[in-house]
Amino acid sequence: MRLFRSGLRKLTTRLATFLTFGLLAGLLVLIDLAVATTRGQGGNDNGGDPLLLITFPGAYDNILAFMLGLGGLFGVIYGAAIAGSEWTWGTFKTSVARGESRSRYLLSTFAAIALVLAIGLLITFLIGVVAAALSATIAGIGLDGIGDADTLTALPENFARGWVAITATAALGFAVATLARSQLAGIGVGIAFYFGETFAGIFLPDVVKYMPFHLANTAVGGGSDGFGAPPDPGALTADTALVLVTVWLVGSLVVAAVFSERAEITG
Amino acid sequence: MSDSGLALSTRGLKKSYGSRLALDGLDLTVPTGVVYGFLGPNGAGKTTTMRVLTGLIHPDGGAIEMLGKPFTRRDRRRLFDVGALVESPAFYPYLSGRENLRALAASGAPVPTGRVDEVLELVGLRERGGDKVSRYSLGMKQRLGIAGALLNDPKLLLLDEPANGLDPAGIVAMRETLRHLASIGKTVFVSSHLLAEVQQMADVVGIIAAGRLVREGTMQELLAAEGVVRVKVEPGEVPAAVAALGRLVDPGHVSPSTAEPGWISVQITPERSAEVNRAIGEAGIWVSGLASGNDLEELFLTLTGAASAGDPDGTFASIDRSAGGDSTGTPS
Repeated sequence: MRLFRSGLRKLTTRLATFLTFGLLAGLLVLIDLAVATTRGQGGNDNGGDPLLLITFPGAYDNILAFMLGLGGLFGVIYGAAIAGSEWTWGTFKTSVARGESRSRYLLSTFAAIALVLAIGLLITFLIGVVAAALSATIAGIGLDGIGDADTLTALPENFARGWVAITATAALGFAVATLARSQLAGIGVGIAFYFGETFAGIFLPDVVKYMPFHLANTAVGGGSDGFGAPPDPGALTADTALVLVTVWLVGSLVVAAVFSERAEITG
Repeated sequence: MSDSGLALSTRGLKKSYGSRLALDGLDLTVPTGVVYGFLGPNGAGKTTTMRVLTGLIHPDGGAIEMLGKPFTRRDRRRLFDVGALVESPAFYPYLSGRENLRALAASGAPVPTGRVDEVLELVGLRERGGDKVSRYSLGMKQRLGIAGALLNDPKLLLLDEPANGLDPAGIVAMRETLRHLASIGKTVFVSSHLLAEVQQMADVVGIIAAGRLVREGTMQELLAAEGVVRVKVEPGEVPAAVAALGRLVDPGHVSPSTAEPGWISVQITPERSAEVNRAIGEAGIWVSGLASGNDLEELFLTLTGAASAGDPDGTFASIDRSAGGDSTGTPS
């Protein structure tokens, strides 16, 4: 618990934490306000009505979908930044030299990351709801659906699934940065993985549906290839995707822990 | 502490990085309650030894006994009684010095409340403990690193170049602190290339070269066996003076200083310094300075073979001649 509490203190005073969630919430607010102030003028025959983004109860799902989409990228960067800096700054080395268990140190650090992600995502979601409500008011849309019982009932489970999915992407970045022993390398590989997977999805959909960022969407999207997207007959079910997301999460942490136990810590 | 009276010992310690042999059967014997100076030129294996002793890397062969018990990769808890500063001190730059020590205290051995402020006081950082580490000077970071090593009140302290970045007052304070720790029964193992600093501070010295221990003993024993007389002549007269001294002792025991033009070191017992003076005088050369004594630097250069590897231009040698070294010799 000492390590976990210490990990939390370190994360909650770190600029990267505020930057990650600040950017996510800031972009969400900007999009909502842009839609409101333009009264959804960007709509076309193919894209639907942008005002739906800020129309409740659908706005809840849209906020989650946005958080999950961009949150996956931010998650992988955040996980890589935290793990990589432990090597780059040499703070992991210092703790190991004090007799601390390497794997326990890393897993406690990640547990703190997972909790910070939960809190950060919850705050971001609440900011998103307020921004959507405000934008809806600006656009002259009613807030009748804001208390929709069915949506609100499903919200905690969807949020929890989204949190697990983003935590899995953070674990991926965490593991990559641990293997690379570098903050920058971890972030670089994480970003490349994110865009590489998105690009590969065009050509290899049957393979990519098992990859972490796609699985993250499917785990919340309820059998579609993306949250809010139309159901895809070939897509995994949400529960299967959630299991596979968990496998990625645990697998990444096991790889990071095993590597750290075996690593020769030099430099 | 240990039944053997040893705080630390290694036997046949080996470590390779690929094809490069970093430790080649290192045997260290560190008694309890002393300051042990661990000396060696760059690349001799000092930092590799420190890494092995702190469990950061694992040896390919050999055995370590720490605080009376074997230390293997499964014995990490042995380090709960050890404080270490390996290479440069490492901290979270966005946290204050105090917060960094608290973060450090969360790992390894449990640390009592209030200990953080105690060690900050000890290293003279109490008033700056609230400042972010990113605003610390190199010397302040070094002090904080030493504070971190002292956090768990260790029985054995392993310090890698602890004087790095410290100002003269800081070096004196560090020396006094380490001497004090030894006086109360703790063991301090200091790796350094600051020969004069080690000479002033250490009770026991081990000299490593090419991954092997080439000499180990108390400072008194080592220096008694290795006397040196240093003379100063006009730089232009150095060759003639060297030739004259070469007739007094083995020419291999006469070495002009590359760092200080005009100074010549002669390996000879200090009691024969008058003979040195006379030999040069008989060659028609006036001596403008003479210091006899026992010099760790000469011993170091002789044992590590670094003197002969020095750059003839005197600009750089394959060893680190200490910036703080005693260039005029230590009078007996």
